Amino acid sequence: MDLLLVIAAWLLVWIAGIALVAVVPRPRDAFCAPGEIAWLAGAGFFAGAFVVTLWMRALSLAGIPFTRVSIGVPLLLIAAAGGWIAHRRDGPGLARAWRAGLLALSARETAGWMRALWWAVLGWLALRYALLFADVVTQPLYPWDAWIQWATKARVWFEAKAIVPFATLDTWLAGNGALYTDAAPTYPAAVPLWQVWSCVALGRFDDVLMNVPWWFVAVAFAFAVFGALRRAAFDPTAALVGTWIVVSLPLIDVHVALAGYADLPMAAYFTLAALATLAWIRTRTVYDGALAVLLVLACPLIKTPGIVWAATLVPGVVLALAPRHGMKIVAAGLVLGLAALAVLSQTKPIVLNYQLGLDFAPAWAALFESFYMLGNWNLLWYGVVAAAVLAGPRLVARDVAPFTAIITAGALFLFIVFGFTNARAWVETQTSINRAVLHIAPLAAVWMLVVFRAWAARRGDVAPAAASV
Amino acid sequence: MVIAAVALVLTFGAALAGYLAMVVPGVWFPAATARTWNASELTLSSGTGALDGTVLVVTTGDATNTVLLSLTTDFRSSDFPAIHWLATGVPDGADVRLLWKSDVAPNKTNVAPVTVEAGRLRPAILSRNPAWLGRVKGIALAIRAPLIEPVRIEGVTAKPMSAPQIAGDRAREWFAFEGFNGASINTITGGAELQDLPLPPLAAIAIALATLLLWALHRYVPRLYAYRVTCTLAGLFVVGWLVLDARWIANLARQTFVTVNQYGGKSGHDKHVAAEDGPLYAFIEKARGVMPAPPARVFVAASAHYFRGRAAYHLYPHNVWFEPFNDVMPSPAWLRPGDWLLVYQRRGVQYDAAQKSLRWDNGPPVAAELKLLEPGAALFQVR
Repeated sequence: MDLLLVIAAWLLVWIAGIALVAVVPRPRDAFCAPGEIAWLAGAGFFAGAFVVTLWMRALSLAGIPFTRVSIGVPLLLIAAAGGWIAHRRDGPGLARAWRAGLLALSARETAGWMRALWWAVLGWLALRYALLFADVVTQPLYPWDAWIQWATKARVWFEAKAIVPFATLDTWLAGNGALYTDAAPTYPAAVPLWQVWSCVALGRFDDVLMNVPWWFVAVAFAFAVFGALRRAAFDPTAALVGTWIVVSLPLIDVHVALAGYADLPMAAYFTLAALATLAWIRTRTVYDGALAVLLVLACPLIKTPGIVWAATLVPGVVLALAPRHGMKIVAAGLVLGLAALAVLSQTKPIVLNYQLGLDFAPAWAALFESFYMLGNWNLLWYGVVAAAVLAGPRLVARDVAPFTAIITAGALFLFIVFGFTNARAWVETQTSINRAVLHIAPLAAVWMLVVFRAWAARRGDVAPAAASV
Repeated sequence: MVIAAVALVLTFGAALAGYLAMVVPGVWFPAATARTWNASELTLSSGTGALDGTVLVVTTGDATNTVLLSLTTDFRSSDFPAIHWLATGVPDGADVRLLWKSDVAPNKTNVAPVTVEAGRLRPAILSRNPAWLGRVKGIALAIRAPLIEPVRIEGVTAKPMSAPQIAGDRAREWFAFEGFNGASINTITGGAELQDLPLPPLAAIAIALATLLLWALHRYVPRLYAYRVTCTLAGLFVVGWLVLDARWIANLARQTFVTVNQYGGKSGHDKHVAAEDGPLYAFIEKARGVMPAPPARVFVAASAHYFRGRAAYHLYPHNVWFEPFNDVMPSPAWLRPGDWLLVYQRRGVQYDAAQKSLRWDNGPPVAAELKLLEPGAALFQVR
């Protein structure tokens, strides 16, 4: 019963999110296009999960305590109102799209061994999520940072039925008991608020079931990636295999099974923000633009580096908006940015909790071990390098260049963090390096698929994409 | 597709054979088989330790911080070019040496260095050591380092270093169960903690070689193999990915089984009692019973940062202070009447029951009352 309550709470978030995304204006019957329903379902969860945290912040500001009613009823209203508006506007088309989506799930468009492959991959994914579900609903909060800096806030906010401030030691001491403290008092509130909502729905603090949203994140992410690949003209089987490749990175699974960190949500929001941005570049619709803005806004509220991850989307947008001079603008921006960092680093400032310095000493051996020898990433980084080498000039072709620019900016961010800041020590000990890379790894996997297809298209081995990510 | 599968298997075998050619020190198929001696057969000549089941747990070295373990043997050195001590908890940077005597020079003790990696000892390869001659009459292991934590020794194995044995060792490393631990959230090794040849690079090499082979086949004998290179590479990459993913899913399934066995069907309270910090949780539960309703201001002290963090976590929603990274006590100046102090496995905290006074780390005394006491754990309220 307890588990059902938490699942119901998160299904409500999911449905409200879908309804919220569905009401954004878009061309009639657009939902019937390939991948649209899967994208709506996947991205809808992330919209809902972000909006519920905004609503809980608003409740707290207004002095209204967290209860099932104060959080659940508005979600129910959003779901109902959004569903009603979407039905009025796209009624038959939307229903047809949902039916088509369900039919697509049974692989009626394919036959023979392709159909067998479809079911095999679906079964394989189902096994993965069944195992992860068993872990999430059984294991008490386990990983380190989860109980020194994330769930600490959830525990207090659940009891207080509001967001009460966490402060650094000096402020805490001066606060005379009005403030709380933990290992990272300035970290964003979104992830602890997810745990609070689970517990509010449950009616008690439970450091097992409060982590159920991590499983929902993983499942919804798979839907969204599949939708994005289908929207980018991957055929159904290729999109499903691609989705499996993206979501089967072992470190993703670990972050679901040992839930409680913000890194998987960060990776999911950043990946979907990038994919929505790239979709907007392609379609220039209000629908894609609005979703991109919402997901980009969520990034810094999930984890502090989210602000930089959001900024890495800028080069892609610039290239798309100014195709003739975009490359020069991005290059100039890069030079200016690096110059500013070089000047800043003279004073050894602390930026986003990293101490910046000019003493360049990346731990290459540890990086190589992490990327290519250990089991964190399966064959991802071999595939990324191979795809980049094979694609060659196609990397900067007009349809792929914005995506390549985003990946390059992301790689540059990690390079600066692990080459020029105190974070290099975390590379040597194989601690934060992989969690930081996790933020961009799923997007890099999608990029690998897109670039590989671009190479295959250039060789005439696949039909040129009608649309590119 | 059958040809592609055969090519992948062949290139995987070729890559593995290339590795074996580099690491097999002698003949590929010697007659000898590995010999293992258990911990109970070892003699602890220097240092302090005792058998814990099948494991010898060494807690301290001698006055010179040296641990010496010895074993009487009788085998031909040429049959066993490697000696592998199965030990964990060896300090990084420790000076570790393998010693042996042989019938060639019975009065001479020979020495070879042993590498420490992640607390374990790598096999000592002796095939090129000029003193590894004749019949080995005794071997020993010397570890020189201050022991912060106990060294656990399961035994020692003399290895023939044959090709099948090395390939078997690698396969066991690839498929060893990697249970979740505190480091799992940061890194997945993909099998055993230490691996001479991890599976991902081998799979990548096999995929690359098979792609080249099939590309050549398609180019020169297209009737035999019709698939283009893009299709070939994509297919092989997916198969390689699947192999690694299958290994990972098998590991995940086993971990899920462990998790469900440990926690399944238990209440929230019982799950915490069954967790690694169960005794700490039980003490905190008692402490919460003594303390007023939250939020009381409570300071947490423990030598191990794991216990500081966990104690604090269990104490929320009280208003907790803990130092997450360093073992420091709160400054006495921070404390005020009514505050609480929870101490767990932390030396240097002294309580004078007569004076109802508490002091730590040679600081000024603080008026406090003992509210709860258990071995290694105490709860005080500041007066």
